[in-house]
Amino acid sequence: MSLNNAKHWLQKINDLELPEKIKIMNVCGGHERTISNAGIRSLLPENIELIPGPGCPVCICPEEDIFLAIQLALNEDVILIAFGDMLRVPVNVSKKEVRTLEQARANGADVRPIASPREAISIANDNRDKKIIFFAAGFETTTAPVAAMIAEGLPDNLFILLSGRLTWPAVAMLLESGEPGFDALVAPGHVSTVMGPEEWQFVIDKHHIPTAIAGFEAESMLAALYSVLRQKLDGRLFLDNCYQEVVHDGGNKTAQRYLNETMDVTDNNWRGIGIIPKSGFSLSQQYAAHDARLVFKDYSDDSRRRIGEMPAGCDCAKVVLGKIYPDQCRLYGTACQPETPIGPCMVSDEGACHIWWNTAPRKSIKQKSVSTQVEESVV
Amino acid sequence: MCLAIPMQIIEIDGYVARCEAKGVQRDVSLFMLQDEELAVDDFVMVHVGYAIQKVTEKDARSSWELFDEILVATENESVPEDA
Repeated sequence: MSLNNAKHWLQKINDLELPEKIKIMNVCGGHERTISNAGIRSLLPENIELIPGPGCPVCICPEEDIFLAIQLALNEDVILIAFGDMLRVPVNVSKKEVRTLEQARANGADVRPIASPREAISIANDNRDKKIIFFAAGFETTTAPVAAMIAEGLPDNLFILLSGRLTWPAVAMLLESGEPGFDALVAPGHVSTVMGPEEWQFVIDKHHIPTAIAGFEAESMLAALYSVLRQKLDGRLFLDNCYQEVVHDGGNKTAQRYLNETMDVTDNNWRGIGIIPKSGFSLSQQYAAHDARLVFKDYSDDSRRRIGEMPAGCDCAKVVLGKIYPDQCRLYGTACQPETPIGPCMVSDEGACHIWWNTAPRKSIKQKSVSTQVEESVV
Repeated sequence: MCLAIPMQIIEIDGYVARCEAKGVQRDVSLFMLQDEELAVDDFVMVHVGYAIQKVTEKDARSSWELFDEILVATENESVPEDA
């Protein structure tokens, strides 16, 4: 990290005359990790609040999709593969039943964590006599490689249970709710790398909210925070790109082409939030033979949408929407910890609760109380 | 899952490149960068085993420093090998 540059941006932020409380939302688990790891909250003026928003695809993956994956793993002669985080997210069934993909594996199901769609192809090729189901949850950055994998050619025995989501519609939904809960936005760096920074222009044009795209170093994050603060103070709004080394105009056109060729954008459910229009990806008709939702359609159970929200007592829905901070949930750090997670935000590396638990002091994690120990690690 | 790490290309075979970051080697798909000109020694930003963008050496090295910090901060957590 360029500590000098980070210090430079921090100084500039501290020199601003901020007359009001200003709440800045990020919508990427990687950004929340940068903020928390670097102790940025404790270094900013009191009147700046940084709130994590909908930035964790594991957290908003519908419970009915995870339930479906578990049922397929348990009842069909298949190998169920998924990105590692998905294996530990509990569904809303009694503790006597299988609640996670990890437990399904312990019960004899062939469930395997993968780190890349490339592994899905390898596993399918190495097990030609088996059906392989790839449970693919993720935002645009992760769904684009899934699209590339599909476009490059799928083995006959590989089926996709797609649970991909687009980030910006959730932000649009918050802004259109009338109570967005934030005054400025730090837009996600790698989503913008793939989809193009232009996706976020609507936040400026339609909602007049200062917006800057950030990378994942403290320097880039602080530059983005300074940008949105200056935009707010000056009343001159523009979509700032503070991650120009990776985020280029138009994004990755090749990746977008494969997304368009293999998937349709559809209305989709977000766990704890509900249906958001045009917010998800579904496999296009030409890949119907590889669509696990169609091939194994007897397992689909729409009734779970009613019971499949967040677990009882869990405030993950409010955390995901940036309505509360992780430590304001009643279960945070008590019944819900990374080793024994109840809500998905405590499971995933991208979940705000998980990040806070692993980076902030245990006893008092309230805003503005990050320890000097964390502060010293940055500047 | 949106974490990406820059890697240096050490060998290209079609749409697959052997890439290296901090002494760790992985096969990376170049399928989403097939419209870019890429050569051995170039740097690419890699997410879940796929190169999503070309980056400069300077930016790659800067990001690696960040990763060292994340790994220290999360040394008790599991970090996906391709994340």
